Amino acid sequence: MSLVLPGEHVPAQHVNLKLGPGLLQISAASGEPTIIATRAGEVKHSANRNKWWIEGNSRRYVPAPQESVIGVVVARSGENWRVDIGAAHMASLDGLAFEGATKRNRPNLKVGSLLYARVSLAHKDMEPELECFDAQTRKAEGFGELKGGFLVTCSLKMCRMLLDPKHFLFPLLGSRFPLETAVGINGRVWINCKEPRQTIAVARCIEAVDPDGGGMDELALKKFLGTLDV
Amino acid sequence: MRDLSVVYEGLDRVDGSARFGFGSTKSLCSVSGPIEVRPTLENPSQATLDVQIRPLAAIAGTDSKALATTLKSVFTSSLFLSHHPRTLVQIVGQALCGTESGSGLGSAGRGWNASLTASLVNASTAAFLSAGSVPMKGVVCAVAVGRLQPDPSSSATLIMDPEEAELPRLDGSGCFAFTFSAVLPASPLSCHDVPPCALTWTNYTTAGPFDIQEVKRATEFAKKGAQEVWLKLKESVRWLEKSAASPLPSKADVKKDDEETMGEMEVDDEKVEI
Repeated sequence: MSLVLPGEHVPAQHVNLKLGPGLLQISAASGEPTIIATRAGEVKHSANRNKWWIEGNSRRYVPAPQESVIGVVVARSGENWRVDIGAAHMASLDGLAFEGATKRNRPNLKVGSLLYARVSLAHKDMEPELECFDAQTRKAEGFGELKGGFLVTCSLKMCRMLLDPKHFLFPLLGSRFPLETAVGINGRVWINCKEPRQTIAVARCIEAVDPDGGGMDELALKKFLGTLDV
Repeated sequence: MRDLSVVYEGLDRVDGSARFGFGSTKSLCSVSGPIEVRPTLENPSQATLDVQIRPLAAIAGTDSKALATTLKSVFTSSLFLSHHPRTLVQIVGQALCGTESGSGLGSAGRGWNASLTASLVNASTAAFLSAGSVPMKGVVCAVAVGRLQPDPSSSATLIMDPEEAELPRLDGSGCFAFTFSAVLPASPLSCHDVPPCALTWTNYTTAGPFDIQEVKRATEFAKKGAQEVWLKLKESVRWLEKSAASPLPSKADVKKDDEETMGEMEVDDEKVEI
């Protein structure tokens, strides 16, 4: 549990060192390159100590390539769609970036549609770009338009927790009623249930387990779920 | 130095927020970024930093706007703004207590004394820590130093973090802001837990004349206070997420202050939202 503040030196050393989010190598006053943390959080590293990163929470998404995000279509510009992914800039999605799309056979998106897409290009000087198919197989693999359902926002750490297959929340809820969810790493979760009160229950549970909103553990959540009448 | 308090507010609609206090001198600050920027403010090589400061009472006047410009330059050097070009990082700072002395205009709640300015800088730093989305080169910690010189022949006494009641008796005061970062050169006297720091900004002003030696003395004196602020911020990272579970200050008189200012704070919540 080694917590650091930004600007503190992190002792990361390895022959094939890879620095993840929150770490940066810059040259110090002495002239030697040092590795400092650029955000507050816990220093974590992989088992063989070649990958290091800072684990912290935030609410604002900064796009990075190969991340799955949930976007809302805001406008159409020619053949492309402008999609809001919660970052500083709108992302651009090519109208043909879907499985099996040709000029004559395009998906019928509207302004306000929800999409589950993958960030294919994220550079600080350019607008981020999205694609709705898997990079290697060129098949949908779950990407594409999300029809119906309800969108909930949460903190970025919560999304990462929900994407972990060992997390308790969705299996616990799924044992009570059937539900369909999509988790975007940009702080958005799409929920689709048969009844509105189930959707509301899922939304409230996500808020309760979110580290920002109190960070309930499994026992407390079970009690909370008991009060929700689902 | 008075009891330091850091509370991570968890305000809605902003990316990070925090309240910092030296005893009962408190400020609240919120940070949002990197967010969309108006084309007129867009900078193609780095993020635009926009600082807005509001006093406890009345609208932001000249002194608040001057303080905003100062804070902009203080924080520009401690953030990696070039990592997010064509975006906006917005800081909104709000004083949570007025000064009884005012800013010489005879009205309470409108001045920015040294302790309040220091608490504002520290609240902004804490808000950046809570936001986590803007990369930081170092942590800016500020502390106020007061000066007492009963007669011109004796040397001036420096006081760390003067209280509101002591302010009218001081001959001078100033806020000293230091940036703590591992990339700065280490001095042999710095303690090992804390990274090296460098003075980023000060507004040390005195009624009578002072020389460079006194400023150096005041800077070294203030450095110790800033190190304590840094240690407090480091400790507060532990409760960064559970905003509801952060420990309340233990001293009874600070608790009383909290209750007294509760009424005022509820009014301020509306002012604080961007």
